[in-house]
Amino acid sequence: MDRLGQEWVSAAVDGELDEQMLAELAADTDSHEQWRDYHMIGDAMRGELPQTVSVDLSASIMAAIDDEPAIVAPKQSTVKTKPATSNVVPFFKQFGQYAIAATVAMVAVVGVQNYNQETLLDNSPLPVLSTRPLMGSASPVSLQTGAVQQNQSYTNEQVIDQRRRINAYIQDHMLQQRLNNGVNIEDNGEVDTIPVNQ
Amino acid sequence: MRLILLAILAISLPAMAQEDIPAKAWLENMSQALREQEFKISLIQIQADHIRPLVYIHGKVDGQEVAFLEHLNGPPKNAVRVGNTVTFIEHDQPAYSVHANRIQGVIPAAFADDVSKLEAGYKFVLGGRSRIAGRPGQLVRIIPNDTNRYGYQVWLDMDTYLPLRFDMINDDKQLLEQLLVVELLVLEDVPSILKEAHKQEWPAVMAQSERAAGEDWKFGWLPEGFKILVKDQHRLIGSKDAVEYIAISDGLASISVYVAKAGEASLPEELVTRNGLSLATERVGNAEVVAVGKVPAETLSRIAKSIMLQ
Repeated sequence: MDRLGQEWVSAAVDGELDEQMLAELAADTDSHEQWRDYHMIGDAMRGELPQTVSVDLSASIMAAIDDEPAIVAPKQSTVKTKPATSNVVPFFKQFGQYAIAATVAMVAVVGVQNYNQETLLDNSPLPVLSTRPLMGSASPVSLQTGAVQQNQSYTNEQVIDQRRRINAYIQDHMLQQRLNNGVNIEDNGEVDTIPVNQ
Repeated sequence: MRLILLAILAISLPAMAQEDIPAKAWLENMSQALREQEFKISLIQIQADHIRPLVYIHGKVDGQEVAFLEHLNGPPKNAVRVGNTVTFIEHDQPAYSVHANRIQGVIPAAFADDVSKLEAGYKFVLGGRSRIAGRPGQLVRIIPNDTNRYGYQVWLDMDTYLPLRFDMINDDKQLLEQLLVVELLVLEDVPSILKEAHKQEWPAVMAQSERAAGEDWKFGWLPEGFKILVKDQHRLIGSKDAVEYIAISDGLASISVYVAKAGEASLPEELVTRNGLSLATERVGNAEVVAVGKVPAETLSRIAKSIMLQ
């Protein structure tokens, strides 16, 4: 409805309209809501509102809300399992979900203090370096994928070890978020990635 | 009655002006508001079946940003930020400080930063309006340019531009994580708790020198917009296993990539949690590459496979 129409409605609410204009207004359905709203504002200002007012949320807000996803926790089905060729992989995934579910509550609390002390105490070179000869130079890891171990059964100890390591990685990831927070992407001049999409 | 009409017009005029603001300008206004306004928000964080109520207070004391975050349920867990130092005060360990420009873990740090940094990976699209925390909110969708990361949507208060709701959603539009403001108070004066925090002596920032330089790792493939933040060697917090570590981020999604000696039992190739955190493992001989982050597991798997030494 245009500005002119709004003024009409306002004038009509104030009783400043003649019969003919009223008839025209009555034909303009858009104005009806406004008529009601103006009256309600007027009533509110005079303190004449009833105890309970059924305030119609405007249609646009309702429509917007309808468009939004429901505010609920995600469905169980969020966990995607890809069709796998062997039995081993689904088992891993199932297990992984369980392990992480147990982890999530835990990971919020991480011990930076311990982390700091340990690294200070232990300055010996880290044994990870042994990965270098393994990798060769500048060849993608994917070319050297080892054979997938199939039909391997895991002992209880191994499952515990596996769970412990998953938790360790996730906890460390959470901790690193805190430590890396001060690092500005822009400060990091090296753009040594090869962005190849798909 | 004329006055009422005038009042309505006066209210509706600025609202009409807001119609013309593009999505990016909304986010820029939000970024400015998060840095400059004085406010207190009570909010809940919803992750799968976990709900955490929080209070976040922000203001400026002597021109320095001061912020306070408190977990309301469970053991005391607070974080205080004065300028570029964030101190975590938690029940189970002595307080410690890190160098950071935002308190990590609630409102994404990128939201108070230059939002154009996100444009390499995301598009900003204006959505509808809805009422949140009793206030009118404008939706801005942050849509990923590819399927390698999750999407986000944020509702901004139409008066202050402060965020009222923040969702992380996957490709199927399922909600993974949500921040929902239940009350937003715009403060007229700096609250006393922030003044106290500013005066207080906090522990010195932890030395970062223990970060031994890592190997010169390179990625054959990274999704557009992701950059390497940190490379180092350290020991995992829980297990004390030594790892080579690389942190990559596109501003909103952060990924940690680890290279370590493989354990006895190999880790699952991919696993996904209900709050979007995924883990992917690539085994190479007796070493394993593990990628962790809030992106689809397929992305992590591809990143883990693409790592190589310079």
